[in-house]
Amino acid sequence: MPGIEEIKNGLKKKFKDAVVAVEEQSPTRLFVDIKSAKVREISNGIIAMGARYLVSVGYDNISRDGTLGMIHTFGFDRDGIFLALRTSVPESKPVMDSITPDIPNAGWSEREYMDLLGMKFTAHPKPKRLILADDWPEGVHPLRKDIPWNLMPPAAEDVAYQLDECPEGCSIIPVGPYHPTLHEPAHFAVFVDGETIKGSDYRGFMTHRGIEKLCQTQLTYNEIPFVAERICGICGSVHAATYAQAVELAAGIRISRRAEYIRTIMLEIERIHSHLLWLGVAGHLIGFDTVFMQSWRIREPIMWLGERITGNRKTYGMIVIGGVRRDITPEIKEDILSVIGKVEEELLTVKKAIQGDSAIHRRTKGVGYVSTEDTMLWSLVGPVARARNVDIDVRRDFPYAAYDEMKFDVPVFDSNDVWATVLVRLLETFEAIKIIRQCLDKMPNDGPILTELEAPIPPLRHGLMAVEAPRGEAVHYVITGEENAPDRWRVRAPTYPNLQGVPLMLLGNQLADVPIIIGSIDPCFSCTDRMEIVDLRSGAAKTASQRELEELSRNKR
Amino acid sequence: MWLTSKIKQVFMVAKPGVVTLRYPFEPRPAPPNFRGQPYWDHHKCIGCGGCAAHCPARTILVRDLCQELRVMVYDGSRCTYCGRCADVCPEDAITMTSSYELATGSKEDINETMELFMATCQRCGRCYDHEITNAIDRMSRIGFKYDSLEMRAVVPVSSEQFDMKLYEKTEKIKRPEKAGE
Ligand code: SF4
Ligand code: SF4
Repeated sequence: MPGIEEIKNGLKKKFKDAVVAVEEQSPTRLFVDIKSAKVREISNGIIAMGARYLVSVGYDNISRDGTLGMIHTFGFDRDGIFLALRTSVPESKPVMDSITPDIPNAGWSEREYMDLLGMKFTAHPKPKRLILADDWPEGVHPLRKDIPWNLMPPAAEDVAYQLDECPEGCSIIPVGPYHPTLHEPAHFAVFVDGETIKGSDYRGFMTHRGIEKLCQTQLTYNEIPFVAERICGICGSVHAATYAQAVELAAGIRISRRAEYIRTIMLEIERIHSHLLWLGVAGHLIGFDTVFMQSWRIREPIMWLGERITGNRKTYGMIVIGGVRRDITPEIKEDILSVIGKVEEELLTVKKAIQGDSAIHRRTKGVGYVSTEDTMLWSLVGPVARARNVDIDVRRDFPYAAYDEMKFDVPVFDSNDVWATVLVRLLETFEAIKIIRQCLDKMPNDGPILTELEAPIPPLRHGLMAVEAPRGEAVHYVITGEENAPDRWRVRAPTYPNLQGVPLMLLGNQLADVPIIIGSIDPCFSCTDRMEIVDLRSGAAKTASQRELEELSRNKR
Repeated sequence: MWLTSKIKQVFMVAKPGVVTLRYPFEPRPAPPNFRGQPYWDHHKCIGCGGCAAHCPARTILVRDLCQELRVMVYDGSRCTYCGRCADVCPEDAITMTSSYELATGSKEDINETMELFMATCQRCGRCYDHEITNAIDRMSRIGFKYDSLEMRAVVPVSSEQFDMKLYEKTEKIKRPEKAGE
């Protein structure tokens, strides 16, 4: 179990000159500058010390020193330390070693910066296009500062993504770009042999909105929380909170304790609503609409509660840099207590009614199996990881807001399947209720809810923050800028790592389980879609409607 | 096991009964704190432009027709009802009302326009600075007030790095003709 000193000394001793500088921003944040040639070696060294890979951040630093920056971030879960490995490559030769061969989850991050910044990673196993549209011109890298935020190259016809090679004897089943299991358009090509899944390829980012670029160039610090909230329709507050806390960390702003408590309450209210929503969605996906109807009925009072506290049922708009916008009055406090009391009672009824239902067990137990080792290797997060016996929770491991004073359990299961994911989410909802009660109990009664800032935020400070969203951890990285706006703001939503694990979860499962497996990571989905089944050998195409898939799922024994 | 679960499920469903609301046949008033359509009180507004500078959707236009006349237009079609404008207004001129049934056939119905007479400083002839103590809020990015509300578009003058030549270059870039080439 290394402390911050040991990590520092360990790195310096092992890699000597390759470590250029070490900055200890706080007891929980370590920034290490290294030479780019050693990036793969040092990353592996950090993983060997027991860290978990989070995300990589690339940024354009050309105007300052002619380089493109790259930051790999890691978390030491047991010690509560975040480590950012900073390096850079010259614009003229933006090549560095890929860390993906050893840390598969870095695959997307690196592909992202191939697209957006024009970096190159040697030995990347799959250097395909990830973010940019297939008809986006080569050589135009939108995250570079000389590219205007609203550049709109003309569209091209007949350009398509090349899927991975299909294994011998298998058929390709395209799921998407519009399909029943995902809320947003994305394309899974599932390779099946009969009913059994042998592999898959993914092409997504069809709704990439360029929010990071937009906010860096067009908005100001305190407008961004409102855009951040719209990154996700379900865990909006999470992104606003992560962003605000990252900026506060970078700028060294301390907010009042009361504001931190209110943030905690809002985050937990959001978790209750999100888990109930997911439970309903999962019920619907396996064709069990009673669960869907009932959990959404229970959820509705939470939405109304949000409306009474913040003024809107979902886009709370509560969190800004410096604190929160609305207070929790004694009346609201009573209101919250009575609503969560009722939810707890009703959810208990649901839990009792479904936990012994053999029909649900048949459809979820053993489905979406991923071994604990693979889960760690792929850095999966949130309920998906906790259902696969990986005991991580940012709220407990890297406490933020008021979580350091909260007592709660982190449910972890070792059956490694979708059923465990259901259980984790159910139990977490009860824990969330517990946390809200503690917050209301312990909350200091005085203190401003919004701290006024005396000075402008200093430029070029780095801030790294993770918040446990209902679906896993959200990680934001902020580099402060000069013009009252961040120079770089990197958002990693929890689905980003989890989606990379879907091919792993699909492997060896039945076609009928595709919806619930993809659904189990909670990316939301629309139910009006259809999947297309193409049998390559006969060349005949057949479409499976949502209903047929549901039938397949229902009839599965 | 299976049967007891089903019995429990029947109870779970039967107990709450029908919960569907009869909206829109029965009105459903919003709670008091609701962030609905913002309303500007032109008696209170001093035309400081604070709301326009902090609107994340940039849906408030400020334009000075002359030294003494300032026009403010709120375009409801782009509003996100965040209530930030009401927060920063030093004069409490903006109320977030509880009206939310704003669907309309014409965008004009949800806009609001104010024409304000501006008092200027007797000495320097400029308007007074607005009183915001928050350092983040006091600064604002130059340029974005030139958004073209009339065209319902953000005019890209605010990006200093906007390079027309580069834009033209991308139009000439050769694209793959067929998939995979
Ligand atoms: S409510 Fe928000 S989006 Fe609407 S005008 Fe006010 S600040 Fe702008
Ligand atoms: S912030 Fe208030 S006083 Fe200033 S222009 Fe807007 S409405 Fe008027």
